[in-house]
Amino acid sequence: MGVVMPLPTERKSKIKSFSKADSTDLALFVRTSEEDITGWNRQRIVDALLRETFVDPDTADRISLDVEKTIQNGAVKTVTGPLIRELVNAKLLELGLEDARRMHTRLGMPLYDVNQLLVQHNKENANVPHGPEATNLTLAEGIKKEYALLHVFSDDVADAHLKGDLHLHDLGFIDRPYCSGQSLEYIKKFGLNLPHGLSMAKPAKHAEVLLAHMVKFAAALQSHFAGAIGWDAINLFYAPYLEELSDRDVKQLAQMLIFEFSQQAVARGGQAIFSDINIYWEVPKHFENVPAIGPGGEYTGKTYGEYEKQAQRFAWALFEVYKEGDALGKPFFFPKPLVHITEKLFKTEGHMDFLNHICDVAADKGNTYFVFDRGETAKISECCRLSFKLEASDLEDAKTPWRMRYSALQNVTINLPRLAYRAEGDDTQIFSLITEQIKLAVKAHAQKKDFIGKLLAMGEGGPLSLLAMKLDGEEYLRLERCSYLIGMVGLNEMVKVHIGQELHESDEAMKFGLKIIAHMNIVCNKMNEKNGMKFVLEQTPAESTAYRFAKLDMAHFPKMAKKVVQGDLEKGEIYYTNSTLYHVGSTMNPISRVEREGLFHPLIEAGAITHVWLGEAYPDKGALTDFVIKTFRHTQNDQIAFSPEFTCCLDCGKTSRGLSQNCSYCKSEHVDGITRITGYFTKLSSWNKGKLGELRERYRNEKRFVEKAV
Amino acid sequence: MTLFTKTDCRLCDQLKNRFDFAAMQVDIEVLDNGDAAALAHLAWHSLVESARKTLPLLVLDDSSTEADFNRIEGYLIDKAMQCGLTIKAIPSQSISCDDGSCSIQ
Ligand SMILES: [Zn+2]
Repeated sequence: MGVVMPLPTERKSKIKSFSKADSTDLALFVRTSEEDITGWNRQRIVDALLRETFVDPDTADRISLDVEKTIQNGAVKTVTGPLIRELVNAKLLELGLEDARRMHTRLGMPLYDVNQLLVQHNKENANVPHGPEATNLTLAEGIKKEYALLHVFSDDVADAHLKGDLHLHDLGFIDRPYCSGQSLEYIKKFGLNLPHGLSMAKPAKHAEVLLAHMVKFAAALQSHFAGAIGWDAINLFYAPYLEELSDRDVKQLAQMLIFEFSQQAVARGGQAIFSDINIYWEVPKHFENVPAIGPGGEYTGKTYGEYEKQAQRFAWALFEVYKEGDALGKPFFFPKPLVHITEKLFKTEGHMDFLNHICDVAADKGNTYFVFDRGETAKISECCRLSFKLEASDLEDAKTPWRMRYSALQNVTINLPRLAYRAEGDDTQIFSLITEQIKLAVKAHAQKKDFIGKLLAMGEGGPLSLLAMKLDGEEYLRLERCSYLIGMVGLNEMVKVHIGQELHESDEAMKFGLKIIAHMNIVCNKMNEKNGMKFVLEQTPAESTAYRFAKLDMAHFPKMAKKVVQGDLEKGEIYYTNSTLYHVGSTMNPISRVEREGLFHPLIEAGAITHVWLGEAYPDKGALTDFVIKTFRHTQNDQIAFSPEFTCCLDCGKTSRGLSQNCSYCKSEHVDGITRITGYFTKLSSWNKGKLGELRERYRNEKRFVEKAV
Repeated sequence: MTLFTKTDCRLCDQLKNRFDFAAMQVDIEVLDNGDAAALAHLAWHSLVESARKTLPLLVLDDSSTEADFNRIEGYLIDKAMQCGLTIKAIPSQSISCDDGSCSIQ
């Protein structure tokens, strides 16, 4: 979930011709990149060319003379390093030395863009506030993005990204993997023992200390991953620390955990720590007989199966905190609570009370995510909807849970509507174009893997020292076990172009949509066999990609795109429907939506979700509990979330339900809205135009549920 | 009726040996060789997860689905009889799948 920056606009350096100066007394000062002003020295050009490119010394010398001449012809008193470099690049271009020019490229941003960035709000990613630390991050991301496109990826991959055939997510975080799911057991067992840490902390003896370790470890991880940091079975792994605590203390701990994670966004200044906590009411089967680790990193002599009641106490308290919201009653944006709905849940005492409790939170604040693990499937979920199915090797890890950690290295999203424009109604074409794009995405993944592999190989002395640490004998990032995500945007619009109807409009359209995703699933599997890497489909969150693709298609395929792009063309609030979702404005009843969208989910193995937008509606918790059980029993849907909307007043601080122009308490117009942009809550003031267009069209399911009694 | 099968599935083979599906007008969907249409058809009937556990799977004319092998055989016997077709005898050795080859992935 990186920042999408405007590409630096090309500006021609205006070199004016003035009176000639004698080269021997060229009274010229050069501002160098080392923050120094030196006299003119032609040799520096030669040195740079020989150091950075394969140009021969004679050519380098000739170029330096030419550049000197150009500068002599100008009347400037001071030139900058970047200007000289561009003049050299122009000469390289004239000589047809394109490879050398690329190697000699300078990365950076025009003054104008930096100024815009510092004084104007970035709206490309809803998760990024505007402040000095945030702009630092954005500037760094800008350079890393250019670096990635020039140096990490091949030209065909980079061009496909720039043209909008596909989207390479988080290019500004090119030197990090995408996201990570892990176990609290790692810090329970090893303490807080990070490479280059100033002091090492032994395994925590008290619950609050464990929390402090968890928060610090999460912050350390966040600076090594581009996206989400997820925690497995958090309530269960805290349980051995809770036996001595009163209910009040457990509630206090729950409060501390949620506030700590929600406020780290403020401390960091950049993107919020995208954090997820996985919660189980039951003790998951794969942890039942696992020896529990307790205070001081010691085994307690019991198994996790014996900590069910403590784990439940913590789960209950966490949702009490979610229900209350922050000091102003606003919902917490992070950490996102993901509750696993399993067969075992329904066999566990108190499950109906718990379901009602979490549905109460879902109806009131919207926080709860319901993750459906049917049959024997075990999963760990994170990010917007990303989930990892635990395979045999993972379940083996579960016996020593500190070893459980999962990472997706990168996410590449394919612009589906564009492939439909290109296929011009031809079935064979459309499937072969999809295959081609997946192959390109696979190439991009292999290139990123190479790059991260190099950084990781530098070990604990290298830039990814945290991920190279081997406290349990294996590197923290187990590169060979990473997943590689292939996402999709605009299946709905692709189908509309090809079949003439949107997914919700006919069975024929839906069946064709399924065939597209089935094809993508099959191609990924074939690529796995061929490359020995794990490529999996994921529903791309696409808070900015759905807008970016729509804009680029309006520019490159205007005739066709304007017929299918969603939103308001005149206002430029355009978007494609996210991933495999149905049109947000379709007025179908919510259970049908959950059922129909759910038909795709078994084919999208890295995770999928259906959103039930609530608007002002305030359903009764019992109605939602029924809905959740029905979804588990009668659909294939992987995950659902209910999203209410709120207006928060920036003057009186109060929060009211629904989106409105004024505060319902003090009538102030100084308000901001809150709802889910995609898989997480944010303030509307940070939304890009595409997502605002989508918001206006969302069908809000009002009157679809039994309302909460007032 | 639609029967979802796979080429190297022992249980599927037993059915193929016993019944004349073409004469019975039972559609066969073969879930290998990267057939997206068959996989999409499977997904349409909410059967992807079931097929990851076991094959064959049968979809009846009323769109209800059956995963139990003995009951699938029962439905097919009924159908064959309705069509006035003879049914080959059950092989002496009853077949089962322990190694998971009778499922997708
Ligand atoms: Zn107010």
